[in-house]
Amino acid sequence: MSTATATPPTTAEQKKTLFGKKERAIVRDPLWDNNPITLQVLGICSALAVTTQIKTTMVMAIAVTVVLTLSNVIVSSMRNLIPGKIRIIVMLAVVASLVIVVDQILKAYLFEMSKQLSVFVGLIITNCILLGRAEGFAMANRPWPSLLDGLGNGIGYSIILLIVATVREIFGSGTWFGMTVIPPFFYEFGYQNVGLMILPPGAFLILGLLIWAQRTISKQYETH
Amino acid sequence: MQRSNFYTFGFAFAVTLFCSVALALAATGLRPAQQISARLDVIKNILSVAGYPNDITEKMAAADPKSVIALFEKDFVARIVDKNNQEVELSRVSEQLQTIGYKPAEIEKLQAFEILEIFNSKVGLLADRAGKTKAEFDPGYSLLFLHKPGGQATVEAYIVPVEGFGLWDMIYGYIALQPDLNTVKDIRFYKHAETPGLGGEISTPWFTDLFKGKKILDADGTYRSIGVVKGKVSDTHPNEPEHYVDGISGGTITGRGVTDFLFEDLQRYNKYFETIRTQEPIESPR
Repeated sequence: MSTATATPPTTAEQKKTLFGKKERAIVRDPLWDNNPITLQVLGICSALAVTTQIKTTMVMAIAVTVVLTLSNVIVSSMRNLIPGKIRIIVMLAVVASLVIVVDQILKAYLFEMSKQLSVFVGLIITNCILLGRAEGFAMANRPWPSLLDGLGNGIGYSIILLIVATVREIFGSGTWFGMTVIPPFFYEFGYQNVGLMILPPGAFLILGLLIWAQRTISKQYETH
Repeated sequence: MQRSNFYTFGFAFAVTLFCSVALALAATGLRPAQQISARLDVIKNILSVAGYPNDITEKMAAADPKSVIALFEKDFVARIVDKNNQEVELSRVSEQLQTIGYKPAEIEKLQAFEILEIFNSKVGLLADRAGKTKAEFDPGYSLLFLHKPGGQATVEAYIVPVEGFGLWDMIYGYIALQPDLNTVKDIRFYKHAETPGLGGEISTPWFTDLFKGKKILDADGTYRSIGVVKGKVSDTHPNEPEHYVDGISGGTITGRGVTDFLFEDLQRYNKYFETIRTQEPIESPR
């Protein structure tokens, strides 16, 4: 599925280190070299849908990171018990349960947010990052590295989402975190908010540019 | 490794059982908090349309959600009106609900708008019990809120819920009328799925402010409602700007939806307002 399928650490020496070289790499890789959005191109749906405002994006990013980390740990700790034939559906059950719990918590304590995020919290279930990491990493690794992998990928996803949201909110609404950042005299000179940024095509454009920039810098090209 | 089918079935069963227990626990455990959140959401919108500044309400809600509910209970009175424009006591509605098994202690904790919501969802069942068709039985209860700060005798504003279809989905809102039951005090659209930046502008202050001071009746007292025009009112209806507001460019269909449901909903409430107008001397708007 991806390049980050490290072999399970078995020797006693590896067991001892909690933040050895390998563990650090597991967290660092998805932030840049193997970013789930720009490199693996997973989880695009929500990256487009929730990024019109940075506040909603923030909640979404936290929700995905929490669910991803927990699902990785749970799947990883059951990995030797899960029958191969039904492993995908078991992962799905774990992810779906976690997502519903997160949705319920949002409804209870962040009602306004949950109204704005509406179906997209529920759609975390179908976010490819979750099943991708569960199948590609957690099924083959011990819980601790899986936790780090979940955390790393969650943060990698969050960074890209927050960049997209920052650009969209500043240019689309003239605000950032709800605070006005474009000075009023800009508007007096005829500046207008870019409506395109608020609509889905705006997200496509920014995401495309980000993927291009990231792959150019890290020299990752798809060969045909 | 190959496992027996028995193990596979057993494992699947165990996972399903565990997940369902976990979800059931989460759902029941969080229900009280969710109920408060949903209630606060409605109350915040009513407070907002009545002119309470949002940032103060938000601060109060963050410090203690109960204080916002207490403020609402102190300053607002819910009134239920049936299809014959008769005022109905809330206790009458809860008595009807008790006949289908709702416990008085349970209902007591709810707000009037929540009780009415339950009632409206159970009208079919209640009609069955009464041996009538739903259309015959349905008392057509409508809800409105009277803004009476601190329980004073005079009404500062009448707040009625309005809802209807926009371009993509239902739009929900509240409109507040001055005590003359004619002049609009303010309007809020708190839940909608209109296109952000286009029809979605209905929830922004520049648009809702356009409604302030508009009239739902003309000089003869005939019901007119308020329409959202395409373009500028000064171009389309220069002679009667008090019944129209400027449209949103790129949001024509949203505006048409708003015009339609405002007409329908205000017409229904206007029939009740007629009864108030004949009973009480009309105060002039301030």
